[in-house]
Amino acid sequence: MEERSKAIQDRIREKAKELLSKKEVDLVIGFGEWTLPLRTTPIFIRTPEGAEDLIWNSFCENNLAIYLHKFSQFKVGIVVKGCDARSIIALSLEKRFKPDQLFLIGVPCQRMVDRRRVKKAVKGEILRAHEQGDQIIVEGEDFNTTLRRDDFLYPSCQVCTHRTPMGTNVLIGDPVKESPLIETHPEIKEFEKKSPEERWRFFEKESSRCIRCYACREVCPMCYCAECFVDSSNPKWIEKGFSTSDLEFYHIVRAYHQTGRCSGCGACERACPMEIRLTYLTQKLNLDVRELFDFETGIKADTLPPLSTFEIDDRQEFIK
Amino acid sequence: MEKNWEPKILAFLCNWCSYAGADLAGTSRIQYPPNIRVIRVPCSGRINPLFILKALQAGIDGVLISGCHPGDCHYISGNYIGRRKSATLKRFLEYLGLEEGRVQFSWVSAAEGGKFSQVVDEVVQDIKKLGPARRFVKREDLRGQGVEGSRKNILNT
Amino acid sequence: MKLRLDKKDFKNFLQNLIDEYDLYAPVQLTEGVSVFKKIDQPGEVNLTQLHTQKPAKDVFFPQSEVMFRYEKVGKQNQMISMEEGKRERILFGARPCDIEAISIIEKVFVGEEYTDVYFLEKRKKTTIIGLGCNHPLSTCFCSSAGGDPFLRAGSDLFFIDLGEAYFVELLTEKGMAFHKNKFFKEADPKDLTFVKELEEKAFEKVGFSIPVDGIEKRLDLMGESSFWDRVHEKCIGCRICTYLCPTCHCFDMVDEGEHQRGQRVRHWDSCLSPLYSLETSGHNPRPTCRERTRQRLMHKFNYFPKNFNQVACVGCGRCILYCPVHFDIRKAIIWTSPKRPKRYERGMI
Repeated sequence: MEERSKAIQDRIREKAKELLSKKEVDLVIGFGEWTLPLRTTPIFIRTPEGAEDLIWNSFCENNLAIYLHKFSQFKVGIVVKGCDARSIIALSLEKRFKPDQLFLIGVPCQRMVDRRRVKKAVKGEILRAHEQGDQIIVEGEDFNTTLRRDDFLYPSCQVCTHRTPMGTNVLIGDPVKESPLIETHPEIKEFEKKSPEERWRFFEKESSRCIRCYACREVCPMCYCAECFVDSSNPKWIEKGFSTSDLEFYHIVRAYHQTGRCSGCGACERACPMEIRLTYLTQKLNLDVRELFDFETGIKADTLPPLSTFEIDDRQEFIK
Repeated sequence: MEKNWEPKILAFLCNWCSYAGADLAGTSRIQYPPNIRVIRVPCSGRINPLFILKALQAGIDGVLISGCHPGDCHYISGNYIGRRKSATLKRFLEYLGLEEGRVQFSWVSAAEGGKFSQVVDEVVQDIKKLGPARRFVKREDLRGQGVEGSRKNILNT
Repeated sequence: MKLRLDKKDFKNFLQNLIDEYDLYAPVQLTEGVSVFKKIDQPGEVNLTQLHTQKPAKDVFFPQSEVMFRYEKVGKQNQMISMEEGKRERILFGARPCDIEAISIIEKVFVGEEYTDVYFLEKRKKTTIIGLGCNHPLSTCFCSSAGGDPFLRAGSDLFFIDLGEAYFVELLTEKGMAFHKNKFFKEADPKDLTFVKELEEKAFEKVGFSIPVDGIEKRLDLMGESSFWDRVHEKCIGCRICTYLCPTCHCFDMVDEGEHQRGQRVRHWDSCLSPLYSLETSGHNPRPTCRERTRQRLMHKFNYFPKNFNQVACVGCGRCILYCPVHFDIRKAIIWTSPKRPKRYERGMI
């Protein structure tokens, strides 16, 4: 794995250098190394020399499509995984940017490592981590542990069937075989086994930890409303306090607003400081949209989002 | 559950078909349970899922959304869009654990006074079996800072 | 006064406190996530994390707090003021950084002319039991920010984990009131040596590497620097850093309620939110992330020191650990110093 990563890394740097030297883009947004182990950080390269800082590994977990809103006045080159490219296609359907504003550097994704689970698998602070073949080696003050990479992937990555980004200007590496590691999202499987009462209790328990920081909203590339429903005071949908019901309302609606728009990247769940489970909500909506309307976000650049269109013979068995 | 509990049900009726249908039920003197409170909307496609959630949060025991039959929408395609929203929202709420049957949908045309009363009857029976709304209701558990009793005011007026 | 509490007596000690006080301690909500909460059972206390997600300021300045209630009685509007609970409170298990942060917040909330009654009432009623950090994290930089992993200042009692027992120091008058506690024994001389070892080890680990010293003056010269055009780039304005920061203390007040009754509530707010500085006219003096990130760093390291002679950062490292895009405030501090590495020039901050 790490040999592949290194090869990809070199080619990303090459491409970025080329784009910046020829001034085809104003800046390149990619991943760079930073201070903490098991993490990368989004970096913004404006000079060809700067391209040396771009890296690629199994910790490139952020969905960089969020920066398109921020850098909308520039011509931007952006490193995208499968899910990121889907977000971008979904955004282009919603006319959030002009197509010639972007240069997509696509990288077929090797599935990203869940740093929280790695952290929980060892006792003590992880000070260094690196990949070696199909393993991750983590070191602390008094431990040195080898973990099997495939045992520590994000759930959204395990079920992913679109790891090769689509609609890219250049694809770094060969397209990967699209088969999920597991068929069903593990949390949805567990969840659907429960009774309605149990399911509500689980949802209630998860939402009760919420501190209304809205990080889930900010990391999501599809959440770009000028005024979010939580900030609306007329009508005032929910209050700013911590009534359990309001917390549940927020999560139900934020997830529901992604119906037919969510690329399943899992950035919301990764951002949450209180480790609230969120992908079991968004993934369920994605499954429903696929079943009801035969639609998957960000796969085709010319299909309208499902809730903005209709078919005469849409299912209506639930309507009296 | 209090004895003699009567469910409170909010009915969002589209102006052109379902509301007229309800009106026809009235003028035809067809009896139906008095548990519904009607909110008239221009089209079933106007229903924002947040309306349903806000109603459930306020303590309403059931929500009925009713619109024109497919093909008959006064605005041509509003009910088709509404149909898609309804399908996804219903599945999502049931997935989360909200009781199946709290939120219901129907097509009632302006000539179907009889059907309207039948639908209301069925909905009321279903909600009576489910009992008063408990999940998701905004109670005084505002982390210890409840607005005691004020939630009830919305339903008593 | 130096005492010791055997771990086998710890549960009973806590139960004893719970019987007489409102005890606030770290509670684990789920694996890896803990907050300070009022506890009813000794078993709820969880000290496995070095620090909780939500900092100890929550105990004095809750994230959501009712200021008063109002009710319409007949034609009159009646205000119902909130009252603090009758019992005294204890905050147990707060780390020195969190405790230092409370004294920073106190500088704002308890001033010469104006006092925040809600904060003060809670503060007056609370005895703080600090807990030393035997194993600071690599993200901790408390010593660079004027503290240290075993800083006693601000605590009424100070506990240090020795393994089979806690070393206990009674520091203030409030602390000395515990000297007759039946669970405390005399400290062993071996305990004192062990404590010294732990302190040295922890202090060495945290070190002094971050140039917080003098940052106020450096920032004075950076008003229009291109540094601000770079430092905000990856920030997405998610506000986690301000909510989890032990010193951040901005809040918003809202009125909630209908017709007959309601309440005025204050909630934590964040300067990183675009709505924070949005004026009624529609003008926003901090329209983009650039201005807001600049504001945050300037407030912490320039404006606050100007007003209160202290940097509004205690080096707890929560903002580094929980930022979704891995913004590292230590890097930002380092880059205000003249010896900027080449990468800065290349555009990577």
